[in-house]
Amino acid sequence: MKFQKKRAATKQGIPTSSMPDIIFMLLLFFMVATTLREQEVYVSFTLPEAKAIEKIENKRLISYIYVGKNGRIQIDDAIVQLKDIQDIMYKKRVALPNVIVSLRIDKNTNMGLVTDIQQALRKADARRINYSARMKE
Amino acid sequence: MIHFKKRKREGGEFSTASMADITFLLLLFFLVSTVIDVDTGIGLTLPEYIPPEEQELAPLSKDRLAALLINENGDVLLNGEIIAIPQIQDNLIERIKSKIDLPKNKKLVVSIKTDRKTNYNLYIQALDEVKSAYFKVREEYALNHWGKKVKDLSDDQIKELREKIPIIISIAEPEQIK
Repeated sequence: MKFQKKRAATKQGIPTSSMPDIIFMLLLFFMVATTLREQEVYVSFTLPEAKAIEKIENKRLISYIYVGKNGRIQIDDAIVQLKDIQDIMYKKRVALPNVIVSLRIDKNTNMGLVTDIQQALRKADARRINYSARMKE
Repeated sequence: MIHFKKRKREGGEFSTASMADITFLLLLFFLVSTVIDVDTGIGLTLPEYIPPEEQELAPLSKDRLAALLINENGDVLLNGEIIAIPQIQDNLIERIKSKIDLPKNKKLVVSIKTDRKTNYNLYIQALDEVKSAYFKVREEYALNHWGKKVKDLSDDQIKELREKIPIIISIAEPEQIK
């Protein structure tokens, strides 16, 4: 007996005409999910590591203070002096009442400087803070 | 008179075959240039600023207070006794647990104090231990009472949890520099 191979009548092969659309979708996803870094960071720092860390839910509320290895402080686009922090943060707090201040402080900084910054923040009434830390493995 | 002949054109189409490649390039560019910045850290709310002359000393019973002092040599003292950082957690868990059913004004207060020369990393490690202790107690409480993990709780349950086990971390007033 002779068997005849059955062949589907439809064309074989994957239609690739929708490929660009799929990739566009992916592209759009990445474009939306991306936050381009809008600030240049002038100070170099290594964040401390911790286990009990939380994600900050609302990114738009965050305002950063960077403290580098050499103790220089950066807010927004400029290196600032310790005594200016209070005014700057007060203005931010007026513009955005529930601002979260993310402190990105180098791990070898002295607590004295950190305390001074915290005092300035308390005086400016920007009291929600977040010590930025990386996940410890 | 010159006669212009209209040239016949075939249907004007351009090939879309390379479209996929172009979009791939774009995609790759975004993939590479993206920094998915994860903002993680230890959250804290600082106390309100009260000028030194208006400060009142609120008496706090010894039983409620866990005083952590981190001095400039890197020694950590819990209620006056030297302790290793990894031990802070176990030490606090017991004390937090014993106060779950007490009223709001009897809960544990953890006070953290540092010297000006203390290393910031050490402070974060200690704070991390304190937070971990609270998280563990909360996790256990949620499991015992609702059989769920904290992240699966409903809003009401989270509210209750926060009332039962509030995280009270006090940053001690810095001392005046002499």
